[in-house]
Amino acid sequence: MTATTVSHDLLGAIGGVPRPETDVVVDARDVNKWFGRLHVLKSVCLQVKRQETVVIIGPSGSGKTTLIRCVNHLEKIQSGQIFVNGHLIGYRQTGDGKKLVEDKEKNIAHQRMEIGMVFQRFNLFPHMTALENIIEAPIQVRGTNRDEAVVIGRALLERVGLAAKENVYPNQLSGGQQQRIAIARALAMKPALMLFDEPTSALDPEMIGEVLEVMKELAREGMTMIVVSHEMGFAREVANRVVMMDEGVVVEEGTPNQVFSAPTQDRTKAFLSKIL
Amino acid sequence: MARSIVMNGIRRVRLAGFLVLLLFVLTACSTNKGSTYNFQWDITWRSIVSPNGSIINGLWLTIGISIIAQLLGVILGILAALAKMSKVLPFRVMANLYIWFFRGTPLIVQLVIFYYGPQIAHIVTWPTFGIGPFQFSDPAVIMGTVILGVNEGAYMAEIVRAGILAVDPGQTEAAKSLGMNYRLTMSRIVLPQAARVIIPPLGNEFNNMIKNTSLLYVLAVFELFKTFQSYASTTLIYFEYMAACCFWYLVLTTIWGFAQGWIERRFSRGTTSTADVRGPSLRTRMLGLRGSGDAVGGH
Repeated sequence: MTATTVSHDLLGAIGGVPRPETDVVVDARDVNKWFGRLHVLKSVCLQVKRQETVVIIGPSGSGKTTLIRCVNHLEKIQSGQIFVNGHLIGYRQTGDGKKLVEDKEKNIAHQRMEIGMVFQRFNLFPHMTALENIIEAPIQVRGTNRDEAVVIGRALLERVGLAAKENVYPNQLSGGQQQRIAIARALAMKPALMLFDEPTSALDPEMIGEVLEVMKELAREGMTMIVVSHEMGFAREVANRVVMMDEGVVVEEGTPNQVFSAPTQDRTKAFLSKIL
Repeated sequence: MARSIVMNGIRRVRLAGFLVLLLFVLTACSTNKGSTYNFQWDITWRSIVSPNGSIINGLWLTIGISIIAQLLGVILGILAALAKMSKVLPFRVMANLYIWFFRGTPLIVQLVIFYYGPQIAHIVTWPTFGIGPFQFSDPAVIMGTVILGVNEGAYMAEIVRAGILAVDPGQTEAAKSLGMNYRLTMSRIVLPQAARVIIPPLGNEFNNMIKNTSLLYVLAVFELFKTFQSYASTTLIYFEYMAACCFWYLVLTTIWGFAQGWIERRFSRGTTSTADVRGPSLRTRMLGLRGSGDAVGGH
């Protein structure tokens, strides 16, 4: 399966570009997180604007995966605030705005509907076929009727080049195919924001291209995306902004050209010299 | 792994069959003070070939009680497992107390204490009502089934918990990231995958349940064992009636052995390749042969 089978207009399959309500889709302010005594995020600030693709790079253990997991509240934070579409994620607004009180499960689930996530290990549901994986959440969570969900699901499968795999279970698909279905599954919820957590790190080299191609398509069509990735070629080509993290701190950010060609920070230079 | 449990089950049943036969031969040949015990084959034979109404009734009662008690056990087991894994401390405490008590005391004691205790202490009078072909107008049947189910729930809780823990945490994260709440995540994503791990031990639990219903004789419930036991004690013909009793239990457990194999193959959907879904043939499994063409090994 080559990248050329990916046709245009991924977002057409879900009825156009989902419009975030604000121009700043993600606004993380002074986010701090500890794992026990380990301070993994140190007053991290990050803004992502509508239709922007931000690629987060950095050595392992730098907190980049943790940061995007905080954006859909798969991880708790200890201080700071993360807004997506203007809504405070995971916590209730309190009087002084300092103390964090975790929100009700129902509200958190509701917020996550707007945020698609693609995992390093795909995490497709093994007891469901490719199509069932895609239509499960729209039917169960959004309450879309089955026929409509199937139409959207089939369109998405076609756009990721896997129309023929509709009734196949994940264990019979290659890693690249599974990851493309995982992307389709997230898109089926019509999210305003997509998070990618090292989407190609678990793939065999020859399958990386087909997944990146789908992601490029998505970025070109105007999806708002945060991508944690070691794929520098992808970052250079697609990213509007590259964010370099190290030891829980945003070290440097700028356009791909600025960060890759003329990094200002020594840590960025050191990291890039190892990876490029 | 799943299939080898079935194999062991069938082998165990066969072994039990041989032992019963051996017992017949030994008793038929043994002498006591010079007199030979006259084993009345016709009594055993009649109870097997043309069982009378009360035997049939006992058989149905055993089947009905087993199924309902097991269903109750599964439901309670799932609830107790979820409670035990809950973030809420009181839920965890309650689940642990429940499991601790019902796994830590004999079933027969639980039956006596919860059925006779409250009644004799004039705390409650167990209600009566009848459903379908079963003698549910007898409160002992209802209460006996409930107590069996509650006892079973304590065992099922640990089995269900192990099943849930066997599911990749990434599955829960994927479900959450799609906006699923706890209930949806559990019912649609986690429990269906846990089922594959739960079902083999669940099959063994049901096999035990079929046999454990015989303990309801202490509540004077005329299930299979009590029915034969009453014949035996009134006629003082023990070997003959109990042999027939064994036969009927073996019929039930053997049928279940096959049903279990079928269910296990169905639930491995999406996790095994299609090639070995059919499993070993009936003949192969019955004879305990492991042909090279049959995939009996674990997954």
